[in-house]
Amino acid sequence: MVLNIQHFCTHDGPGMRTTVFLKGCTLRCKWCSNPESIHPRPELAYNPAKCIGRTECGFCLPKCPEHAIFSTDPDLKVRINWTLCTNCSQCVSACPPGALSLFGHELTVEEVLAEVEQDSPFYRESGGGITLSGGECQLQPDFAAALLEEARHRGMNTAIETAFNVPWENVEKVLPHVDVCLHDHKISDPERHRKWCGADNRRIQENQKRAYETFPGVKFIARTPLIPGVNDDEAHIRAVLAFIRPHPNVIDYELLPYFRFGESKYGFLGRVYELEDFQPPSEELLARLRAIIDEAFGRATAITRKTQP
Amino acid sequence: MTRIAIHLDGGYVPGLNTVIHGAVRAAAGLGWEVIGLHDGFDGLLFPERYPEGGTIPLTPRHVEPLSNASGCLLGTAPHADPFRVQQLKADAAVCETDRSDELLAWATKSGIEAVISVADSHALGGLWKLERRGLRTLSVPQSPENDIAATDLAFGFSSVLDFTVDILERAREAAAAAGRIGVVEVPGLYAGWLALQSAIAVGADAALLPEIRYDLSRVAEHLSRRLPASRGHGLVVVAEGSTPLETSETPGPAHFLKSSLSPGATGPAGARIHVGRGQSAKTVAEGLQRRLNHTTQALDLGRIALAGPPSSIDRQLGMSYGAAAVQAVQQGRTGSLMAFQAPHLDCVPLEQAVNRHRTIQKDCAWVQVARSLGICLGD
Ligand code: SF4
Ligand code: SF4
Repeated sequence: MVLNIQHFCTHDGPGMRTTVFLKGCTLRCKWCSNPESIHPRPELAYNPAKCIGRTECGFCLPKCPEHAIFSTDPDLKVRINWTLCTNCSQCVSACPPGALSLFGHELTVEEVLAEVEQDSPFYRESGGGITLSGGECQLQPDFAAALLEEARHRGMNTAIETAFNVPWENVEKVLPHVDVCLHDHKISDPERHRKWCGADNRRIQENQKRAYETFPGVKFIARTPLIPGVNDDEAHIRAVLAFIRPHPNVIDYELLPYFRFGESKYGFLGRVYELEDFQPPSEELLARLRAIIDEAFGRATAITRKTQP
Repeated sequence: MTRIAIHLDGGYVPGLNTVIHGAVRAAAGLGWEVIGLHDGFDGLLFPERYPEGGTIPLTPRHVEPLSNASGCLLGTAPHADPFRVQQLKADAAVCETDRSDELLAWATKSGIEAVISVADSHALGGLWKLERRGLRTLSVPQSPENDIAATDLAFGFSSVLDFTVDILERAREAAAAAGRIGVVEVPGLYAGWLALQSAIAVGADAALLPEIRYDLSRVAEHLSRRLPASRGHGLVVVAEGSTPLETSETPGPAHFLKSSLSPGATGPAGARIHVGRGQSAKTVAEGLQRRLNHTTQALDLGRIALAGPPSSIDRQLGMSYGAAAVQAVQQGRTGSLMAFQAPHLDCVPLEQAVNRHRTIQKDCAWVQVARSLGICLGD
């Protein structure tokens, strides 16, 4: 279940890369920037800006078996009752301008690579390649492994972005085909991790440690999405450093400042964004936290902006 | 003995306890037992979260002292959906599961005659689904923006209106003292009743509603006609869901695979999406300041407007809705929504309120009144 393929990303691994987003995730971080990647099945997305309206079109209205599409005066664009919608997708083909569409498609390894290879001249030059992201790409271990193996075979550098909240068997299948593993250290305290992300971090940390030890050839890059008032404190940064520094194959630790990337997409999916009052972290705070990381690594660490599907 | 359950299925509005009080008192009169469910259906779905149990027996003795107090006895459940309950599986993965069957099983097992749900417009869809699955429900409409179709007055609106009017008076005083234009955002995502009625109550200069797309140049023109060229002050009321007139931006051709896979990411920037509280007031305040020789100041009422003691109208409306809901259950009229259609308090089939919003019609009396008072509606 592939969600999206994004070309020319420069932040999800070395060089110029193509990022493939896989659908489905085992966490529910309240700040999630890719809400359309959370659920494992295709989902309806509605973009009202494209809707022609009930009077001139309205083709979708009789199509919905759940009575989930409706229209109220006075703006004649239709609306979706998300409580009633079951993502059956029957309305999608009825919509001429594509206001109704599906997030998520079934693609084969070959189809994905054909798309990715359009970019190959660029990453041959820059040492880039393919990055699997999500969602949680290790939730589809067989597909991810096959895709990465074939990509590597064709001379691409392979990277994944993962939260590691998956069974160890999945990790064992995927990581042998990975050059660079970008992984999250969201919150150190298990109970707080559970509150903000839906599950605690015990299995995540077990997997991380085991992965560092089992796959010495993989370059691991630790990351923290900095959320104000949640994990933007020194104690967390130091705890992560203490966790990763004993492992020489963890080559970097990046901070991803929270920029409310995903917020607008919540509307398309009828979800509620709970962090509306949060502000991005200040430059001063970032500089201070980065200095701590620089010190631990003995060199400068860059701030990156995460790319979006 | 007949048993009924009551719960709050939706967000918070002032004085929810009065509805519970009304229902409990009417039920006691019939010799019925009432069980309260904590936090929507959470009390049933997650009993382990409640040290004293997820349900509580309610008697008049319990609820009377709390009736008119602010706060609420049972806890609310904004955006809850029993068909998609977030859960942690044994293997530490988070997922959403349909737990509606458990609710039905519980109702049968506990011999619950009906569940009285004090519901907002979001919750009505879920209740309708539960009703079709076989749960007997009776809904009481509550909404701070009075957007529920089929009833003229949803519970909570009157209290929120009172508070909003009070704040608008203060905002105007503050704006006058500072020689500024105050721009106040009030709740109202689908329906602009709160903005329109409060603007009329205080004689504001403009009211921007979700139902009428606004043109800021028009609003600025109107204000400049009314205010002295310098050091004038004014008051603009903005509903949370108000939107500017469509701009001429058209989406460029997107990469075909990309747009088919992730339309939300490639759609035009001007899509109408709810961008968080306070944003509408900010947009309007900044836009007016750009067009006028006046200073503007944005204020967002936000959630504060939804708390506090109930107004006298809501007190009697809440008691009446609660009591009438029990009567409706007694008459076997479950699957309905209580509706106040002056002067009657009756119930209507739930379908009449699902997928509908009670919105402002462009030629209705309120709009005409506002215009005759010189309140600009942005068009
Ligand atoms: S996806 Fe299916 S249930 Fe949802 S709105 Fe479209 S037709 Fe209705
Ligand atoms: S089919 Fe598409 S464009 Fe037509 S009314 Fe439905 S959503 Fe709008």
